[in-house]
Amino acid sequence: MTWANFGILGIGGLLVSVPIILHFLFQPKPISVDFPALRFLKQKQQITRSRLRLKHFALLLIRCLLIALIALALAGPSVASSEFGNWLTLGGVGTSGLIVGLIALVAYFRSNKNWLLIGVLGVAFLGHLIFGGVSIARIMGSESTNLIGDTQAPVAALIVIDSSPRMQLEYENETRFDKAKAFGQWLLTQFPRDSQVCIAATDGDSPFFSVDVGAADRRIAKIETSYVGSKIPSAVEKGLETLKTSAHDRKEVYVLTDLTAESWTGESSKKLARQLSQNPEYSLFVIDVGVDQPNNFSLGQLQLSKVEISTDGDFSVQTQASRVGPAAQRTIVMQVEKVDPSRPVVRDGKTLFSEEAFQPQSKVVEIRENGSTSTEFNFSQRLEAGTYHGSVSIEGKDGLAVDDRRYFTFRVNEARQTLVVHPTNVNPNLLLSILATEESIADGSNRYEYQVATQSEFVEMDELDLFDAIFLVDPKPIPETVWTRLGGYVEGGGGLGLFLGANANNNGVADPSFLTDDAKRVIGGVLDQQWFNETDDLFLSPKEISHPIFKPIQGSETAILWNRFPVFKHWGIIPDATVNDDETTSLPTQTLLQYSNREPAIVERTIGSGRVLTMTTPISDFGNPDGRKRWNLLIRTRPVPLFLLLTGMVSHLVQTDADSLNVQVGQVSALKNDLSQNPDSYQVFSPIVDKPPTNLNSVDGQIRFRFNDSPGHYRFRGVFDEQVALRGFSSNLADEATNLTRIGPSELDDELGAGRYQLATEKNEISRQQGTTRRGQELYPFIIIMMLVILGLEFLMANRFYA
Amino acid sequence: MSVEKYLKPSVINQIKRLDLRAQFVVKGFLHGLHASPFHGFSVEFSEHRKYSHGDDLKDIDWQVYAKTDKYYVKKFESETNITGFLAMDLSSSMGYTYQQELTKFDYAICLAASLAYLMISQQDPVGLVTFNDRIRQSLPPRSKRTQLGNVLSMLSNLEPDGKTDFNQSIEQLASMLKTKSLVMIFSDFLVDEDETLDALYRLRHSGHDVILFHVLDEAEVNFPFKGVYKMRDPESGEEIKIDADGYRKSYLKEITTFRDDLAKNCSRSGIDYVPIDTSMQFDTALVEYLHSRRARG
Repeated sequence: MTWANFGILGIGGLLVSVPIILHFLFQPKPISVDFPALRFLKQKQQITRSRLRLKHFALLLIRCLLIALIALALAGPSVASSEFGNWLTLGGVGTSGLIVGLIALVAYFRSNKNWLLIGVLGVAFLGHLIFGGVSIARIMGSESTNLIGDTQAPVAALIVIDSSPRMQLEYENETRFDKAKAFGQWLLTQFPRDSQVCIAATDGDSPFFSVDVGAADRRIAKIETSYVGSKIPSAVEKGLETLKTSAHDRKEVYVLTDLTAESWTGESSKKLARQLSQNPEYSLFVIDVGVDQPNNFSLGQLQLSKVEISTDGDFSVQTQASRVGPAAQRTIVMQVEKVDPSRPVVRDGKTLFSEEAFQPQSKVVEIRENGSTSTEFNFSQRLEAGTYHGSVSIEGKDGLAVDDRRYFTFRVNEARQTLVVHPTNVNPNLLLSILATEESIADGSNRYEYQVATQSEFVEMDELDLFDAIFLVDPKPIPETVWTRLGGYVEGGGGLGLFLGANANNNGVADPSFLTDDAKRVIGGVLDQQWFNETDDLFLSPKEISHPIFKPIQGSETAILWNRFPVFKHWGIIPDATVNDDETTSLPTQTLLQYSNREPAIVERTIGSGRVLTMTTPISDFGNPDGRKRWNLLIRTRPVPLFLLLTGMVSHLVQTDADSLNVQVGQVSALKNDLSQNPDSYQVFSPIVDKPPTNLNSVDGQIRFRFNDSPGHYRFRGVFDEQVALRGFSSNLADEATNLTRIGPSELDDELGAGRYQLATEKNEISRQQGTTRRGQELYPFIIIMMLVILGLEFLMANRFYA
Repeated sequence: MSVEKYLKPSVINQIKRLDLRAQFVVKGFLHGLHASPFHGFSVEFSEHRKYSHGDDLKDIDWQVYAKTDKYYVKKFESETNITGFLAMDLSSSMGYTYQQELTKFDYAICLAASLAYLMISQQDPVGLVTFNDRIRQSLPPRSKRTQLGNVLSMLSNLEPDGKTDFNQSIEQLASMLKTKSLVMIFSDFLVDEDETLDALYRLRHSGHDVILFHVLDEAEVNFPFKGVYKMRDPESGEEIKIDADGYRKSYLKEITTFRDDLAKNCSRSGIDYVPIDTSMQFDTALVEYLHSRRARG
C-alpha cells in the first residue's frame, strides 16, 4: 500500500484524539427536569448508567473512526491492482465485523438477553477478527507493497515481440509485425528515466537488457520474423529470467502478439501461468496487434507421389488450397526449375538462382468461404540424373504471402541395383513385380533393377556390395559363412530383406543354421517356435504406421481389411540380449508390425549403416507349394496390402534419402553422400538471396544440414571430378505455422490466469493501464462510502442521545 | 357553544377566577349528565312528601303548608346531606407539570372547587383542609352559600410547598372530624405506600367515607421523555441522570403497578380510588363523587 499524502495520516492520527478530548471536556449535557415520581426510576438506574456509558463509548468510537477515515481518505491510499481484491475483501470483512460486533453488544445489554444469539454473534465476530488478521498478515507479507505510488520510479521492462511468420499478415497496408515493432518503440518512450528494457522475440535468441532506451529501439528495429523459434509463453519465460536480475522493484512485461492460438497454446503456456502466479508483482500487459477477420489464401503441404524417379519417370504433386475469408477464385501454378550448372552464384552480395524452368502448369480453382479445395499436378519429362527443385504457388496478392508458395525437390536417378535370392522351390515373382515391371524396364521408368539368383548360386557370390539391397525369399538353411558375409554387407550400408517360411523348418523347429551367432546377429533375435492357427482369425495388424515402410499405406490405412488376408503359420522371434548389447555397431531390434496375436510379423535390425527387415511369414506361398498347406493367404486376388507393404520395405532397404529431400523448416536434412561419386564438401545457398553461402562437409557418408530456418530451396553446390555437382532439398513451413485462428479471451485466461494480465489494443489503453498499475488502485471511493455509513451511524446515535 | 368544553383542563386554564372555573366545570358536568346514567338526578334534592300517619309533626314543613295548604314533611333532608371534607395535598411535588396546562396542584384545586360548588349547591356542608407534613389550614364544613366563597378563597391562595407526611396529616384530620364525613383527598400519593394505606384504613375504620383522587401529571403516567435527562425530585431534591429510552418500559411498569396496587388495596377496604392525570377531563372525578354520593343517599 502506498499513500499520496502520508503526512496527513499522522495529522489525522492526532486529530482522532480530538473527539476523545471533547468527550471528556464536554460530556453530553442532559436536559434537567423535575420529576416527582423519581423513585420509580431509581431501581433501573444502575443498569441504565452502564448502558449509557457504553452508548457514549460507542458514539465516541464512531466519531474517532469517522475522523480516522477522513484522514485515511485524504492520505490517498492506493494498493497494487493485483491486491485490490484482497483489500476490498478486507474492507468488506471489517465493515461486516463492525456491524456484527455492534449487534452483539446491543444484544448483550438488552434487558431480556438471548444467550444463543449473543453466542452466535460472538463467534461470528471472532471469525471476522481471525479472518481479518490472516488477510492483513497475508497482504503485508506480499512483496509488492512498495511497488506503486511513484509513477516516475524507474521500471524493469520486458518487451516480447511475436516474430512468427503469422505476424507477416498485412492489414491496412501494415504487417502485424511492423505494427508490433512500432508499438514496442512507442512503449520505449513511456518508461520513466533510468528504466531497464529487455527486448525479446520468439526467434529463439536469448533476451538481454539493452544498455539504454536507444539501444532497445535499435534492437526492435533489427528484429525480423523468424520461421523457427519458440512460442510466446516460452519467450516470456526466458525474458522473465532476465527480468529477475534487475534491481528495480517494479517490473513490467509487455507482450506484442497477434493472439493466434498457435502462438500461445501448449505446455509452455502452463509453465508461464505458474511462473506468473509465483511473481504477482510482475505487471503483465498483452497487446493485441492481430486482426479479427483476416483475408488469406494458403497452400497445404505438398504430397509428392515419388521423390525419386528414373530419367523417364513421372510423379504427381497434390495440395490443398485453403481460404480464410469469402469465397474466391485463384490460379495455382506449378513449375520445375531446370538444372543450371552455373547457378547458384553470388553477384554483388546477392545469390542468383536458376532462372530457367520447364513449362509451368496452372489450374484455376474455386475456394469456398473459409473452405479448401484439393488440386493435383502431374509432371512427366525426360530428365537427366540430378536434383531438381520446383514449387506450387497461388497467384495474386493476399494478407499473408508466406503461405502462398510451397517448395519441393525431387531426384532423377539411375535405377537401384537389387538381388533376389530364392531356393528353387520358391517363386519370387510377386517381389520381382514390385521391383520392376516389364513395361517400366522397357520405357526406362523403373526405379530398381534386379538380378535373380537361386540360393545355391547366392552362396557362391562374393561381391554383394554391388547391390543396394538383397532379398532372401523363404531361404533354406544358410551356412555360417554366408551369415557372416551378410552381416558385413549390412554393416557396410546394404539392405537385407529376409522373408522366412517353410524352408527354415526342421521338424517343427527352426533349422540350427538360423540359430548361430552370426544368424542371430543379422536377424536380431532367436527364431522361436512356429505359431499355428487353423482358423481365419490371425492376420497382420498394424498399430503404429509412422515407420517409413508404411508410407505407401499412410492415408489409406483404414481402408485396408487385413483380416481378409489370414495367416495360418509364422515364426516367432525372441529378441536376443547378447546381440542387442552390441551398441557400438547396432541398434536394438524393433518390431514394426505385429500379428493379431501380438507376435512380431516384421522386425527391423540396424547394423552399422545398413538395415535388415525380417518378415516371419513368407511372401511366396501361393498355389499349392510343395504339396503342403499354405502358411498364409497374403497372396490372393488383388493382394494390395502386401504389395504396398513390400513397396515400402523395398524402398526402406534400398535406403534412398528421399525423406530428406523435403523437410519442414527447422528439421535436419541428411543426404547420403557416397564419396566415390560425390564431392566431400559443398557450398550451401539459402533461399534468402542476401544470405551468403556456407560450407558443408561430408561426414560418415552423409551431408547433414542443420540451419534450415527459412522456407524455400536449399541448394548444395560442389565439384567432383572437375564437374559441378548440384544437390539440395526443399524446406516448407508446417501448416500450423500460418494458422491464423485466434485465441479467445477465456482461453487466454486459462493460459495466463484470469485477472493476471491486462489486454489492450490501443496506446491510450496501455497508458491508462500503466497508470493504474504504477499508481495502484485507489481506495478513496471506498473509504468515502465507509465514511458515509459511519456518518449515518453517528447521526442516528447522536439523535438518540440528544433529541 | 357547549358548556361541556369547560371540562377540559386546557379550556378551564383560560379562566383565571377559581369561582368561575368551578361554576363552569359543574355546569359542563351537569349538562353532560342528561345523557348519562345519572339522568334525573336532582340537585334540588330537598325532598318533600305528603304527611302520613306516624310522621313526626315537627317535620311538617309549614312554609309549604302555607303555600299549598297541604302537609308535607322534609324529614329526609337532613338524612341525605353529606358532610364533605376536601383534603388538599400541599407538597412540592403537587406543583409539577411537564407539558400540561395545569399542574397537578392546579388541577386538584380546580377539581376541589368544582366539588365544593356542587356540594354547596346540594346544600351539603363542605369543609377544607390542606396538608403537607401536617395540617396547614382548615375550614369547618358549612352548607351556607357563603361557605363556597370561603372555600374558594382559601383554595385560590394555596401554594404547594414542603414534603408530605401523609400519615401524620391524616391522623390530624381524623381527629378533627366530629361526624361521619365524606373525605375527599387530593394528592399524588408519591409517598410511602404502606404508611398511606395505614392512615387511610384508620380513617375508614373511623366510619368515614373516603375518596382518593390520585392526581398525577400526564408525564408521570405516560413518561414521554426521549434522550438523556437529569431528573430531580422536587421534594427531596435528589437527582439522577438517565437515558429515558432505556427507562421507559420499566418506569411504566412500575407506575402501573403502583396505581393498581393502590386501587386494589383501597377497594379492599371500601375506599374509592380515582386515578386521574392532568390531561383528563374533570368529569371523571365528579362522576366518581356522584357514585359515592348516591351510595350514601
